[in-house]
Amino acid sequence: MSETLLLQAQRVSKRYGATIALQEASFGLRKGEVHALLGANGSGKSTLAKVVAGVVAPDGGEIWLGGQAVRFRNPLEARAAGIAVVYQELSLVEDLSVQDNLWLGHEPPARFGRVDARAARARTEALLGLFEDVAGPRFAPETLAGELPPDERQLVEILKAVSLEPRVLVLDEATASLDGRQVERLFGLVGEWKARGWGIVIVTHRMEEIFRVADRATVLRNGQVVGEVRIGETSREELIGLISGEASRALHSAEARASAPARRTSPLLSLRVRRGRKLRGLELEVYPGEILGLGGLHGQGQSELLLSLFGALPGQDLSLRLEGQPRAFRHPSEAMRAGLAYVPGDRNREGLLAARSILENFLLPSWKSYHRGPLLDLGQARRAALEVGEKLKLKFGALDDRVTSLSGGNAQKVVLGKWLLRSPRVLLLDDPTKGIDVGAKAEFYQLLAELRAQGLGVVFYSSDDDELLSLCDRVLVLLEGRITAELSHAELTRDRLIRASLGVKEVVSGEP
Amino acid sequence: MTRPPNPLPTLLRTPPMIAVGLAVLLLLLGELVRPGFADYGQVTNILRIAAFLGIVAIGQTLVILSGGEGIDLSVGAVVTLGAIIIYRFTGGSDALLLPALLIALGVGFLIGLVNGVGIAWVKIPPLVMTLGMMGVVKGLILVYTGGRPQGATPPVMKSIISDPWVLGIPGDVFIWVILGVGVTLLLQRTAYGKALYAIGSNRTTARLSGVRVERMLILTYALSGMFSALGGFVLLGYLQNVFINLGDPYTLPTIAAVVVGGTALAGGMGGYAGTMAGALVLTLVSSLLITLGLPEFGRQITYGLILLVLLAVYGRERRLRG
Ligand SMILES: Nc1ncnc2c1ncn2[C@@H]1O[C@H](COP(=O)(O)OP(=O)(O)OP(=O)(O)O)[C@@H](O)[C@H]1O
Ligand SMILES: [Mg+2]
Repeated sequence: MSETLLLQAQRVSKRYGATIALQEASFGLRKGEVHALLGANGSGKSTLAKVVAGVVAPDGGEIWLGGQAVRFRNPLEARAAGIAVVYQELSLVEDLSVQDNLWLGHEPPARFGRVDARAARARTEALLGLFEDVAGPRFAPETLAGELPPDERQLVEILKAVSLEPRVLVLDEATASLDGRQVERLFGLVGEWKARGWGIVIVTHRMEEIFRVADRATVLRNGQVVGEVRIGETSREELIGLISGEASRALHSAEARASAPARRTSPLLSLRVRRGRKLRGLELEVYPGEILGLGGLHGQGQSELLLSLFGALPGQDLSLRLEGQPRAFRHPSEAMRAGLAYVPGDRNREGLLAARSILENFLLPSWKSYHRGPLLDLGQARRAALEVGEKLKLKFGALDDRVTSLSGGNAQKVVLGKWLLRSPRVLLLDDPTKGIDVGAKAEFYQLLAELRAQGLGVVFYSSDDDELLSLCDRVLVLLEGRITAELSHAELTRDRLIRASLGVKEVVSGEP
Repeated sequence: MTRPPNPLPTLLRTPPMIAVGLAVLLLLLGELVRPGFADYGQVTNILRIAAFLGIVAIGQTLVILSGGEGIDLSVGAVVTLGAIIIYRFTGGSDALLLPALLIALGVGFLIGLVNGVGIAWVKIPPLVMTLGMMGVVKGLILVYTGGRPQGATPPVMKSIISDPWVLGIPGDVFIWVILGVGVTLLLQRTAYGKALYAIGSNRTTARLSGVRVERMLILTYALSGMFSALGGFVLLGYLQNVFINLGDPYTLPTIAAVVVGGTALAGGMGGYAGTMAGALVLTLVSSLLITLGLPEFGRQITYGLILLVLLAVYGRERRLRG
């Protein structure tokens, strides 16, 4: 076909049982281009990436690489042809060091046919150096991959692909768990790689990222390509319209900050930490009907704070009050009984039972309330799960299918949805919209607005600053386990948020 | 959103069904090489032997499902202890059978409880903990009996366990089937079962969704001990006699039965129906090999090979459907 195209997918189809993941989907990637692959959750983006990577064999269609039809039987063949893919679900070997993970399956360039340990180390350090200043101190060659926080594991995944010096680099939601600075750095590098002539495919649900970095975009809906646009010639509204297939008006309005300000009654939940794991002397209060944001760079203690509230990090010197009553949760089950719910930040390691069905994942926190005598009422449990699934517009085959058959964003909906079955009073959310598409995000915001209207308290960490800015009444910025700023109302601006995250001193913050 | 009902072949390709298919095949094969192998009487006899293995393997199934390299190597020793307690405590008296049975089950439960505490709280690997417990229980048996168990079997046990109930099928087979239904309900239709699969699949997720992982482990190992003691009761009813290493030959076959039944050694996937099919397959294989007059070493080798082939097939099926 056309010689200017580096990689081309032609009429690629893939079915899983009755689910159509891809239906004659085509797209073309040019040399030196950043091409965004867009679409709602379950629209087939990851499947297309996996077909290109040789992980999934398509039922029909062809892949052309540099003007030649190719058929990869496994990922190694695709890799040898210069295609490197960062998959949505992380795949590092947790018991291996960062360096070993980087070079797993391909050794660093060697002299005289032998791996030179010193050269390998130097190559590794050069790669890690690309992200060194936007990662923590443990981001080093000898650290075990399993000991890194999710964002740094994601960075290692990216570097692992980059170390292959590919012609085509596919980033499937590689930014979903990165914070603002890390994304900034990545996009800076993407610019360099582009200049070297690499073709780069990025999958993301964050609109601003597309306009920031992409040249063109292909939009998928239900496995079909519904449009290809040049980014310079499109608008956010047009893209959202293409992705959702509806006018984007509804989606937009729901994103606006919920209007009702929190009634300053007595706090629903209050926490004082004197000394904790990663937390150092901090205090916070959450009011009924309030969405309290946690800001700051990754790994400044936000996750630990949420876990502490949920009773999942016992043995810390802290005191907690719920509706004025002192409480000490020694186990998440105690916090749950008191009406708390927690959505973890790492869905595969902390949120899902990979070997089990969608139904069992939904009901895991609630089974006990479905006992009728000695046995569970499975019929009622299924109805409840279906109801939540519908509310969240979950795209799935059957409730008894393995949860791993869901697309990334749909799996995230399950992690979130299981708590809706319990009608909690306090929601603790650790980056809950990671990988969720624009439409579902808008619905999730709507849902939060409804829940807060019922008087729920929400504590909300997000790696997406826009989300904090548009949703929260108040944002506490964390730095090294302390709260360094409290921003609300007019003070809650992107600029202030970024400054506070970096610990930049403010000139007396009086009335604006 | 709903998918048309799955075609039969996928169902037939699940490990328990493969095991059942294999059992039928083995039966036919036996009949072919030795006519009479599949006679009614023979089949009930095979069922009865499979029942012992199957009942002892209940605990093993639960423990393996719980994940974390879960395994219980003390089952054989607890079977022996359970049988000996009933034998000695009743001294042949029917009236004392019920209290004796309760004591045996209680002791089995306690031994399992100690296993569970060692594994869940002290964090001793299950293999090490239960291997150690096997030694301890054997020591206890020696102390308790002085090496020669005294006592007698209550006559009523014979009519409950070895005599046919209906159609010439002995009581222990019915007991097995009833237990099978009970355990399957426990796994599929109770909060305990759902939590067991959850901790076998991902303990962090389970904990963060409110499952008390340590308590679940302790309870599960305790149940394993209790079901092993129950196995001792059934075995005593059949043999009417005890000896000091009565249960030993069952330990490893229970693990094999669980695995042949398609329960993943990694935990979180499988069930008791599979273990029942696995117990049948293993029993059929040994009967067939004995019928063929293979020497002991030949039997061991064939037995091992069959296990390996089955595991390879299951692994392939999982990958295909994964
Ligand atoms: N292994 C599988 N078994 C069954 N169905 C699958 C499997 N993999 C994907 N699917 C289905 O194919 C469809 C497309 O999935 P895919 O992962 O490509 O979506 P996606 O566009 O990447 O979504 P997301 O934005 O949520 O990551 C979904 O409906 C999904 O449920
Ligand atoms: Mg995806």
